[in-house]
Amino acid sequence: MPPSLPALIGCRYLLDVRSILRILADNIKRTGLPVPGDPGLLTSWSTGLDLPEKGDVILYTGGLYQLLPYIEEFAEYLEKLEGGKAGGLLLKAAGKLRRLASLSKIVVRPSRERLEYSRQVLVSIVELLKSAGVEIAYPRSVDSYSGVLLYDMGLDTVFKEHARKVAEALESVGAKTIVTIDPHTTHVLRKVFPRYVEGFAPTVKSYIEVLAENIDNLQFKQGDAGRVVIHDPCFYARYEDIIDEPRLLLGKAGYTVVEPRRSGRMTYCCGGPIESIAPRLSRRIAETRARELDEAGGEIIATLCPICYSNLRRAYRGLGLERDIQDLSILLYRRLGP
Amino acid sequence: MSIMLEKVLEDIYKGLEDPEFSMAISRSVSNAEGKHLRVKESYPYVEDLRLRVLEAKKKALENIDYYIDQLARSLERNHGVLHIARDRDEAQSLLGDLVGSGKLVIFSKSIVAEELGLREYLESLGNQVWETDLGQLLIQLEHGKPMHTTAPAIHLTIEKAARLVREKLGAELPSSPEPEDIVSAVRRFLREIYYKADVGISGANAVAADTGSIVLVENEGNIRLVTGYPPIHIAVTGIEKIVPSLNDAISYALVQAAYAGLFPPTYLNVISGPSNTADIEHRRVYGAHGPRELHLILIDNGRRQALLDPGLRDHLRCIRCGRCQWECPVWHHTANKWGGPTYGGPMGVLWTAITLGKEAGAELSMLCLGCARCDEVCPMEIPLSSLIRGLKRVYSSKI
Ligand code: SF4
Repeated sequence: MPPSLPALIGCRYLLDVRSILRILADNIKRTGLPVPGDPGLLTSWSTGLDLPEKGDVILYTGGLYQLLPYIEEFAEYLEKLEGGKAGGLLLKAAGKLRRLASLSKIVVRPSRERLEYSRQVLVSIVELLKSAGVEIAYPRSVDSYSGVLLYDMGLDTVFKEHARKVAEALESVGAKTIVTIDPHTTHVLRKVFPRYVEGFAPTVKSYIEVLAENIDNLQFKQGDAGRVVIHDPCFYARYEDIIDEPRLLLGKAGYTVVEPRRSGRMTYCCGGPIESIAPRLSRRIAETRARELDEAGGEIIATLCPICYSNLRRAYRGLGLERDIQDLSILLYRRLGP
Repeated sequence: MSIMLEKVLEDIYKGLEDPEFSMAISRSVSNAEGKHLRVKESYPYVEDLRLRVLEAKKKALENIDYYIDQLARSLERNHGVLHIARDRDEAQSLLGDLVGSGKLVIFSKSIVAEELGLREYLESLGNQVWETDLGQLLIQLEHGKPMHTTAPAIHLTIEKAARLVREKLGAELPSSPEPEDIVSAVRRFLREIYYKADVGISGANAVAADTGSIVLVENEGNIRLVTGYPPIHIAVTGIEKIVPSLNDAISYALVQAAYAGLFPPTYLNVISGPSNTADIEHRRVYGAHGPRELHLILIDNGRRQALLDPGLRDHLRCIRCGRCQWECPVWHHTANKWGGPTYGGPMGVLWTAITLGKEAGAELSMLCLGCARCDEVCPMEIPLSSLIRGLKRVYSSKI
C-alpha cells in the first residue's frame, strides 16, 4: 500500500491533514520528491554497476525503495522531538502551515543498515534480470519519484503536472519496455498515467513479471531453501493480477511457499496508506496482518513492496516478535548459482 | 450534518482502546469473512441470480421515473398507497401524519428509518416505539448506532447484551446467561407489544414495479409479525430499491441474503397489498387477519442527485448486503464507527456522501486504504475504492 501523506513527511500525530497535503504538494513541486532530500538519492545505488544508459528495456525505479528509509527516519526523528521541548512547541503548532513547512526542510540521515538494505534490493533486482538474460539499461537522469501518492490522496492537479513531466522524460529515451520494481509504481505507470497523460501508453512490466517470463534462463542452487510465507501486496494482487509469478519464482529457487490466511486476490493490507492520518488504526491493521502471517508457520516472511516491508517490520517490533522478513528480490538473489 | 475526520478518529480510537468492542468484532469477522463464497459453492445458481439483479438494477436506475410511475399504478391496483418524500423532513412529516400520536408503534430493522431518524421522530410525537429485531432492539436500548448492516449489534458481547436486557427491560436472567436466555427474555417482552401495536413499520429489501410488491428477507420472524399483525403497515424505503419485476425483487432478496452469508434465508416475505378476503359472497373485504392498510413511503434524500453524479451513481446499485464491511481491513477494526452517522464501512462512506452530501463523505474517505478488497467481493460490481478515491479528490480540492 502507498504510505499516507503524513507518513511521507513523517508526521505520526493527529494533524490537520489538509496542511500536510499542501506541504506534500509543495515538496514535490519543488524537488520532485515527497520528502526533503537530494534527488541523487534515487540513483546513487547504481554507482559501480555496469549498467548502460540506453536500451530497449529500461529500469524505472519510481524511487519508493530508496525513499522508504528516509521516511522511516523522519518519522522517528519527530517521535523523538515529541519528548523534548522543541518537539512540544512544534507539535502544538503542527496545524500551522509555516511550522510544518520548516519541519519538511529537516535533513534526515537514515541508518546505514536501512540504506544498505534498499541498495541490496535494487542491486539484487538488476542481478536477477541480468541472470535471466534481460539486457537492462538504466537511464539515471530519467529515474524519478512517480507521484503515486499525489494520486492516492486525490491531489489531482499536482499529480497531473508531475505525471506529464515523468512521462515526457520516459518518452525521451524511446524504450520499448519499462521495467518497474514495486507494485505502486507499476500500477500508476501502467494504468493511471495513460489516463492523465495524453498519448502515453508504454509497455510497463514489473521485474517480477519479466523474471517469470524468462524463468527458464534463471539458474538457482539445488536443495531446500526453507518455508516462505508470502505476503501479496494489494496492488500486485488485485490491481495488476500479479499473483502466480512470485510463487513460480520462489518455487524454482527452492523455497516452499506457504499461503497465509487471506492470500492471493484476497490478500490483506499492511495498513500503510493511513499510517499517519490514523497511526494507531494503521498499526492495528499491520499487527493483525503480522500475526496472521506468523500463524501461517513459515521460517521467512516474503514481501514484494517496500511499504509492506517497512510496516510489517515495525509491526513485529511493536509486538515484540523477532521475525525474518525479507524482500522477494533478496530471497531470489541469495539462491542464484549453479 | 457536518462530519470531521478528526472527530471520527477520536471515536475510532475509543473503540480501539475498548477490548470488549475489539474482541466482539473480531469474533464476528472470523465467522462471517468469506461466507458468501461458501454459499455460492453450495448453491451455484446464486451467481445467475446475482447477474439478473445486476441487470435489473441498472435498468431500473436508468429509467427511475418510469418505474416509479409503474409502481404507483401497481400499488393502487392492489389497494396500497404510495407516498414520495424528497428528504428527511418530508419523510418525517408524512409518517407523522400517517401515525399520529399516542400510538404503539413497532419497527422491524430498517436502515432507511435510521437514516431518516424515524423512531426518534415518532417518539417525539408522543408515540411508544419499539424495535423488534433483537440486534436493533439492543441498539435502541443502548442509544447506539448499528455497527453492521445486517448484524447491527455485533459489537456487543453476550455480557453487555445481558446487562442491557436486565437493566432496560427489567428481565430476569441467570447470572451467566446463554444467548438462548436473552432471546427468550426478549421474546416474552415483545409478545404483548406485537399484539397491541397500532402500526408496524418495516423497510424493504426490494420493491417490484410490475406487481407493486414489497419483498423482505429475514431470519428472526419479527418482520412477519411487524408487517402482519398491526392494522396498519407502513414500509419505508429508498427509490433505488425498485426493480422492474417481482422475479427481480425476489432474486434481489436472495442475493442479499447470500452475500450477507445468511443462506437460505429463513423467511422470504412478499407483500403486495393490505390483507383481504373474498370468502363471503365473493365480495372483497380489506383487513382480514393482517393489516387493512398498506403504505409505501419512497425516499429520495439525495438519491436522485446522486444518479446524475458519475462519482456516486454506481453506488445506487448497492443492495446493502454488508459484504464489503465483512472484508474491509479498516472496518475490521472500527466497525460502523467509520462510515457516517447511519451507514458504515466502504458502502457507508458512499451512502453518507449520497444522503448527507459529498463533503461529508470526503472527510470519511481519507481513512480508506484503497486496498480494493471491497471491489473484489461486491455482488453489484460497484467500484467502491475508485468512488471513494473520487471523494478524496473532493477533500483535497480544499487545500
Ligand atoms: S457496496 Fe456491494 S458489497 Fe457493499 S453492501 Fe453494497 S452491494 Fe454489498
